[in-house]
Amino acid sequence: MADRRLEIWGELAAHAAGRGAVVSLADVCAVAAASELSGAWVAAARDDEPAFLMYATDPVGEQLAELQLTLGEGPCHDVLVFAAPVLAGDLADNESGRRWPAFTPEARRHGAGAAFAFPLIVGAIRAGVLGAYRRSAGPLTGDQLGDLLILADAATMLLLDSLSDGAAAAADGDGAWLDGRPPDLALHRAEIDQATGMLTGQLGVNITEAFARLRAYAYAENRRLADVASDIVARRLRLHPDPGPEEGP
Amino acid sequence: MDADLLSATFVELADTMVADFDVIDFLHLLTGRSVALLSASAAGVMLADPRGELRVAASSNEAAGLLDLFQIQNDQGPCLDCYRTGRPVTATDLSGPGQQWPRFAAAAAKSGFRTVEALPMRLRDQVIGALNLFRAEAGPFDAATLRLGQALADVATIGLLHERNVRRGDVVAEQLQAALNSRVIIEQAKGKLAERLTIDTDEAFGVLRDYARNSNQRLTEVALNFVTGATADFPPPPRPA
Repeated sequence: MADRRLEIWGELAAHAAGRGAVVSLADVCAVAAASELSGAWVAAARDDEPAFLMYATDPVGEQLAELQLTLGEGPCHDVLVFAAPVLAGDLADNESGRRWPAFTPEARRHGAGAAFAFPLIVGAIRAGVLGAYRRSAGPLTGDQLGDLLILADAATMLLLDSLSDGAAAAADGDGAWLDGRPPDLALHRAEIDQATGMLTGQLGVNITEAFARLRAYAYAENRRLADVASDIVARRLRLHPDPGPEEGP
Repeated sequence: MDADLLSATFVELADTMVADFDVIDFLHLLTGRSVALLSASAAGVMLADPRGELRVAASSNEAAGLLDLFQIQNDQGPCLDCYRTGRPVTATDLSGPGQQWPRFAAAAAKSGFRTVEALPMRLRDQVIGALNLFRAEAGPFDAATLRLGQALADVATIGLLHERNVRRGDVVAEQLQAALNSRVIIEQAKGKLAERLTIDTDEAFGVLRDYARNSNQRLTEVALNFVTGATADFPPPPRPA
């Protein structure tokens, strides 16, 4: 069932190769916008609220993103509160106007007919938001929604790499992991989340950093993330704050 | 059949318009009561992710092996077939030869299950997931049990999506995403608690759930506050063994 995911990762890699670079948020936004939308952007979160614009495909997308950061309301704000996509297929309807009284008229003035936002989150980890807009109103199709969620997964990993200091360097903050094969997160397993939680205690770091360290370790050891997680949960492997990881008893 | 438990279960599964509704607690109730009422050995709920994958949302038993057994069904197994067809799917002798889903059957047999039934969770035309019932004995669940199981799955589906008034398909997608992210938060909290108390993740789930109940908080909220460090004094000291 993960075929579509592989196709989209292929599109991201091809897009990045087309501009002679490794996959970045720019590619994710471009591929998102190309799925019959008018533009897309990514904003990073601080203290659980969208706070910095990282990339936008076009001036209108940039304005819509900045508008929400300035006004403190809009789909991109709600998306981190509800931990779920917020899909405003028609910014002219009553629901949008009631929900975001300041954002909605401004967004329409900039030419947006529909706005969509996707949380870039992994459980308690809040990395940011993927936003998109369309000039014309109308809902997303089921296929579009699925594709955008897959792109949101890619954006989450890229954003976590770029936000995390130090440890994630080993996991390649430039997104090299996206080129060859999709990250194991695609085959998400409870043990990866459990291991992340365990590492907060072992390493004395927050959940975001724990996840970066888990991935960095798997990458450095050239092992599957799910296998490393399984060893940590079974207490066959402990990671240590300094100087580096060592095998358990 | 415990008639009192049965009627209490239907009331609880329908009563989701309450302030402290928690989706994971709710689905955990469904799986626990399915075991108690349907003479199953274990039960689990898988929900459809709009990315096109099936993901574990709740299980009557939080042991890692059982969670894996559900997760395998993202690739093959009765749950996947049930989700794709929208119809119940039965496997009655998982330890026998010529299995339809070899990888799933091997994992199920290894965990001691010989019979499995997947019942669709359906809202009108849309299948949002499946309720999986496992039994140690070979041979099918009887027809009356399956009718009751389907009724539990139906009322739970309505309850799950009832949280907000479902008018559009994308609201269902929003709710499923939120539910699946809650599940991830629970797993992260289980891990952190297991590390802190040196217990296994299954026991950690019980501690989290008891704490949520005893303090009248939502399970997901307790887990989130614990993972993010917002509650420094959690958990309470472990009970003496």
